[in-house]
Amino acid sequence: MPFPDTRVGDHTIVGAVTAPGRGQPAASGAEPAGGAMALDGLRILDFTRLGFGSQATLICGCLGAEVIRVESTRFPDAVRVMPPFVPDPGEHGEGFGAATLANATGAASPNRGGIFYKYNTGGKKSITVDARHPRGLALLEDLVARSDVVAESFAAGTLARWGLPYERLRALRPDVVYVSMCGFGHEGPDTAHVTMGPTAQALTGSTFMVGLPDRPPAGWSFSYLDHVGGYLGAMAILAGISHRRRTGEGQHIDVSQLEPATALSGALLLDAALNGRPARRPGFPTGNRRPHPPTAPGGAYRAAGEDRWVVVSCRTEEHWRALVGAMGDPPWAAEERFASLAARVRHAEELDALVEAWTSQRDRYEVMALLQGAGVPAGAVQDAADRLERDPQLAARGHFTMLGNAEVDPLPLEGLPVRMSATPPHTGGRLRRGPPLLGEDTATVLRDVLGLDDAAVADLAGDGVTT
Amino acid sequence: MSAAPDEAPAPLAGVRVLEWSDESAEYCGRFLAGLGADVVKAEPPGGAPSRAVGPFLDDEPGPDRSLAFWADNVGKRSVVVGDDAELAELCAGADVFVHTLRASQVAARGLDAPTLRARTPGLVVCAVTPFGHSGPWAEYLADDLVLMALGGSMAACGYAPGPDGAYDTPPLASLGDQAWRTASTYAALAVMAALLWRDGPGQGAGQAIDVSAHECSASMTEWHLMTYLCSGAVHRRGPHPTLRGADGRLVAALNPDFLGPHVFAGMLAMLEADGVAGPLSDPAFADPGHRARNYREVWQACKRLAAKHDGEALYRLGQQAGLPWGVIRSPDEVLDDPHLAARGHFVELEHPEVGRSAVYPGAPFLAHASPWVLRRRPPLLGEHTAEVAAEWGAPR
Repeated sequence: MPFPDTRVGDHTIVGAVTAPGRGQPAASGAEPAGGAMALDGLRILDFTRLGFGSQATLICGCLGAEVIRVESTRFPDAVRVMPPFVPDPGEHGEGFGAATLANATGAASPNRGGIFYKYNTGGKKSITVDARHPRGLALLEDLVARSDVVAESFAAGTLARWGLPYERLRALRPDVVYVSMCGFGHEGPDTAHVTMGPTAQALTGSTFMVGLPDRPPAGWSFSYLDHVGGYLGAMAILAGISHRRRTGEGQHIDVSQLEPATALSGALLLDAALNGRPARRPGFPTGNRRPHPPTAPGGAYRAAGEDRWVVVSCRTEEHWRALVGAMGDPPWAAEERFASLAARVRHAEELDALVEAWTSQRDRYEVMALLQGAGVPAGAVQDAADRLERDPQLAARGHFTMLGNAEVDPLPLEGLPVRMSATPPHTGGRLRRGPPLLGEDTATVLRDVLGLDDAAVADLAGDGVTT
Repeated sequence: MSAAPDEAPAPLAGVRVLEWSDESAEYCGRFLAGLGADVVKAEPPGGAPSRAVGPFLDDEPGPDRSLAFWADNVGKRSVVVGDDAELAELCAGADVFVHTLRASQVAARGLDAPTLRARTPGLVVCAVTPFGHSGPWAEYLADDLVLMALGGSMAACGYAPGPDGAYDTPPLASLGDQAWRTASTYAALAVMAALLWRDGPGQGAGQAIDVSAHECSASMTEWHLMTYLCSGAVHRRGPHPTLRGADGRLVAALNPDFLGPHVFAGMLAMLEADGVAGPLSDPAFADPGHRARNYREVWQACKRLAAKHDGEALYRLGQQAGLPWGVIRSPDEVLDDPHLAARGHFVELEHPEVGRSAVYPGAPFLAHASPWVLRRRPPLLGEHTAEVAAEWGAPR
């Protein structure tokens, strides 16, 4: 079933895959699982890799789009071959996190890189094409002609050098929505600059916002902007499809890793420009102490155990009274220095020490449950293991979906963390399956999308076009 | 409607969005406004809670002076509603209703999705709450800091432990309400998808969207979950490596050797041109294994380079060598970036009632056929109450 706006058949297959027996696309094979999905029938030809671009297409896949990753056996996506490696089948026992560390055999396979499994859910398919082979480019052109969206995250100009600039894509498919995602985008003086998440985080102020006063920033320890940039890449795809529906026209949408981050600082830009209060000033950033709205107590407090912490955040008198009650009405809480929020903010350091003396005697989840039961915003500082093994809310919401493939056992994987009543997203996408093996879908895609017969598929493989 | 007739229609032009939100989901409506929707913020007579959040213009509090409110409500209109019946009435004229009410609250107030959609079947109802509308924590309370803790990014961010391996500083969360922003971004995506479906195969049917900020926040820590699944290791806190320029400014200096031999080749040429390559010119360093074993030498050479250049210059030197280096700027220092200026990113809007103008971040991506819409300054409290009543009278 094509996406409602898709005019399959209007577009002549112009490539030179002059294989015998090419005809109309075959009827899709197995009936897709489940009910309606929001992007049913939308086809995305996906040249993304690493985190930023792949985050965008995984969102669309979870919404039901058919995402066809175009990959290379000679230059596999780095996250396919980078550690950490997914354990050998059977190597982990009950639960996860108990895998042996001696799983370096993964390095020999393009299907074991763990980070690949983070960014390539959504039922993505994988085909392997040698784009440098003359017939490889023709094959890609045929696929472009039959795709609603072309998404890529190469350095600016790379796809054009392959022979697929936007002008060519548009010639192949007049209403194509072409979404490019790279560090500095395709327009502007610094398009040659390269980024990884931490680069963009530094340049846009995101790194600066994580830190204790009067120390160098601690920053984010992961590529936050790979996620954020990917969300905006997905928004660009959906915006492009919405625009196409209204006008019939496609376009090139240029996503960088910088613009998606500039509004993440909230009021800081306005405070600097209008109040003359630049963020680079003594005492700023303020660690976990949020100046607006003020909270006191407010921050991470030590709990029982090694490096265990719990956040408590009291913004209102109700929160404060509930906290005091939960702590058993200690006499110090009635002192004048803590009599109002303003007073508590003024004496925040003394207050923090007293609160921490109480939390540090208790398990972080015990503190959380006790305080939440009393009506105080509180939460354990959870790491990856906690989210998988100790978070009843994520479990109850079905946050993780067990998915694997022919090479790895099912893993608890994440997708689009949103519930929709009529078109539920699925981490396995329309096909309800795990991240693809490298090239797993080459033959199927050639048959189902391009209508090639078995002989033509074999011919392309034999000629080294598909690998 | 906001789009001028001679301009290309925005992707969501003509879509009416009603928002009932505290500061947790206003970023969602900001996106939808930028995509061309008519976003109307419904507020109680005293104003939305975010109008009381600082900082304030000239540090004078007031419902129309909150810069936090300005930042996330630019592009919207504002109406004041007296009670929930009025709010429900406005919903009947909307395509989308974004709110921040917990499950118990929507039920008690008659604002639950089934009730609203019984009257307006095409309505997309999007609830953005700390934990979602189901599960054992559904009624728990949270601010952004609590969500950053539970979601996992906080546990992974902070300063390195001391030599004994013990931490003397806490895990740290970013300022700027990043959990709320993540949830709001996902909410905007879900709303867009729901509208595409409604106006296509859904044959006019809306639906209910349930966004848990906790889940959204939990799904963002990149490789940390996979590292635990694969190896049992949990990420230890510590910053990425930085170089200190001659002016004291820090530069995030990743050297991604794993991307291929061109990475080191570019770095070596840069260091040699500056006369600071030292032992790195030894051909032995052409071997990645040797580099990895002697990374200290690589880093020392980078530090020698850094000492000779100011931060912004060092960033550009690294980039010219093909390295993903970036100078650490404060958020407001980004306003001076020449690349973003050339892309026309920042937009200045007049605030005539205070005699000032303010610069806002604009399009999050460049879509020339359907440009980002950013023309309205944030609304004064209730500024559009009469206007919206007249325009939205007819039920959708």
